[in-house]
Amino acid sequence: MSHFLLMVLYSLLVSVFFAVLWRRDRRGQVVLFLQLFLGMVLGGLALAWLMYPFPSGPPTPLT
Amino acid sequence: MAEPDAEAPPGVPEARAAEDPPSAPTPNPKNNAPFAALLAWLIPGAGHFYLGRRGRAVLFLILILTAVVVGVALQGKLWRIAPGQPLSVLGTLGCAGLGLPYLVLRFVLGYEGNIIAQGYEYGAAFLVTGGLMNLLLVLDAWDIARGIKE
Repeated sequence: MSHFLLMVLYSLLVSVFFAVLWRRDRRGQVVLFLQLFLGMVLGGLALAWLMYPFPSGPPTPLT
Repeated sequence: MAEPDAEAPPGVPEARAAEDPPSAPTPNPKNNAPFAALLAWLIPGAGHFYLGRRGRAVLFLILILTAVVVGVALQGKLWRIAPGQPLSVLGTLGCAGLGLPYLVLRFVLGYEGNIIAQGYEYGAAFLVTGGLMNLLLVLDAWDIARGIKE
């Protein structure tokens, strides 16, 4: 599974959890879910993009 | 001294109920808060189920079990206390928040993750997050049982 899909899955789980835990009305849940989910996914992509200029070196081979 | 409301005669239950604040949660004497918290820790969502929040309970169970299954499928690290590594205590507490799934994984199945697996760190994040979410459910169940939250 790719890193991006794992990030999306993680964001989905956490966003649904907090939306249901912290909000009681359906509209509030949807709004909080979207804020959290988009914040995590788009924030992660933005951070990855900002780190692009920094060299990461060759990948470490797995034994 | 406050004047009694002319349209709400004293002694009428409907009139008294109308004077109460509409969103003030009250503790249900049937709810045992320590039992609800213990149940919530042991089985994710069970505390809410016990308190009558059954829809939410099922959803919480699905979410946390999904985190556990993904974490194990990725062969992520299940934290345990390591000598000389104080931060491992925090990781262990986070994972132990899973309750029964943690106990089964660790003591029945002997699971600890595979350090050379590609998903070792990702899986650890899923497992710790599942445990921390369940700890929040314990606090939520406690608050609901005590009437602090709706």
